[in-house]
Amino acid sequence: MIPLQSNSETPFPSIIADLLGLDASEPAVLIVLSVVAAGVIATVLLTMTAVLGIWGKRKITAAFTDRIAVNRHGPYGLLIIPADAVRLLSKELIVPSEVDRPAWDLAPLIIASSALLGFAVIPFGHGLQLADPEIGLAYVFAVASIASLGLLMAGYASNNKFSFLGGLRAVAQNLAYEIPLVITGASVVIFAGSLRMSTIVEVQQQTLVSLGGIAIPSWFAFVNPFAFALFLIANLAEVGRNPFDIPEAPTEIVAGYQTEYSSVYFVLIYLGEFIHIFLGGAIIATIFLGGASGPVLPGVVWFFIKMISVYLFTQWARSAVPRVRVDQLIQIGWKGMLVLSFANLVLTAVIVGVAAA
Amino acid sequence: MSNPWIAIGALALVALAIPLSMMAVSSLLRPSVPEQGKRAVYESGEVPTGDTRIKFNIQYYMVALLFVVFDIETVLIFPWTVIYQDAVANVGLAEALVPMLAFIGILVIGLGWAWRNGAVKWVRSPRAQAQRVEQ
Repeated sequence: MIPLQSNSETPFPSIIADLLGLDASEPAVLIVLSVVAAGVIATVLLTMTAVLGIWGKRKITAAFTDRIAVNRHGPYGLLIIPADAVRLLSKELIVPSEVDRPAWDLAPLIIASSALLGFAVIPFGHGLQLADPEIGLAYVFAVASIASLGLLMAGYASNNKFSFLGGLRAVAQNLAYEIPLVITGASVVIFAGSLRMSTIVEVQQQTLVSLGGIAIPSWFAFVNPFAFALFLIANLAEVGRNPFDIPEAPTEIVAGYQTEYSSVYFVLIYLGEFIHIFLGGAIIATIFLGGASGPVLPGVVWFFIKMISVYLFTQWARSAVPRVRVDQLIQIGWKGMLVLSFANLVLTAVIVGVAAA
Repeated sequence: MSNPWIAIGALALVALAIPLSMMAVSSLLRPSVPEQGKRAVYESGEVPTGDTRIKFNIQYYMVALLFVVFDIETVLIFPWTVIYQDAVANVGLAEALVPMLAFIGILVIGLGWAWRNGAVKWVRSPRAQAQRVEQ
């Protein structure tokens, strides 16, 4: 078996360097190769968003509501993707009166960029990881929460009452569920003993139990299913999908913080939201589902299967679960999730401590 | 040893370049047809009334304040989780676990206090309460 952990702290650029016969320890070479590697990762993510965000989302929602959805443009309606891209980019940009100009323009940029930035430390496969710093998990939580800033900016700068409410709700929601998310993440670190993403994946490769000759790996979802469930729910709230989609609840406040955004700015917010869902899926796949490991198929394929499964789960929740009210949201977050995540952390610490001592 | 932050910085460059280039492409493609009334903010098709930047529910402020406390706490919990297993092996279970339990305990008491004071209970405004129709 190929080791999941590589010696370099920049595995993906190093692989490219080896292929081209270059020396990655040279800073100039590393910068160029890192940009190339980052470009590859960003392209993959944009393609995923194009396929799953424009086409897949419609097909999935249609399947839930017993419709057919797009089927006129090309096979299975797939050509809707380029058509929609051109349509959205060539729409007129309507700037409402009295918007706060720098903030209003910066918000879509922040939402889209912060989502992409989180993927820097995600190990997609054997060595397919852009950077592997020692504080990987803390970094990914930190970067993923920058988006709340963008949501608040969008809501406040739009000078629209629906946007204003949406922005406030988005921040209240992200604040309420950020703590359970991070605390549950910390309970995983107790098992792994490291914040480095590749180490967290490596630790999960050991065998937990053998059932009838089949070795079940110690994925943290199997080791601690309770933490997995908590993380999955907190993640739904972080990416703002049902039952926690009140920041943009269409039947209450039109579209929330994105009410006044049109044209390319709308595309950027939409893109940012989808990449955030993928980032949530990637974090769950890495810290709970054993990262890029699985039988028969190559690791990268397994990683994308796990990541897209989480995406499908959010889409299922979007179609199947009713929305909570804002007061329920705050109470579930602060009285339920927070207390449960602390209980999870303390119990994990006690059990691991007693087992180790 | 290659520095991982160079690679992260590279992704930051790409993550900024992609939205900016999309904005550039869009500005070349899109029309600009200013019309009267087009720039009005959306208010369900009505003429917008009143100011947007109004006083809003204090609850948003309360939960934000509570968040600051717990966010700082997570920063302090993370280093502990990293060294926890080694610490149990080196200094024993009691010394590694009990201080953190005390720390979390104090914070949980703080949460209980905020809970009792209604910081995490969504209050209805008196006006909304007066207009409420019982089913």
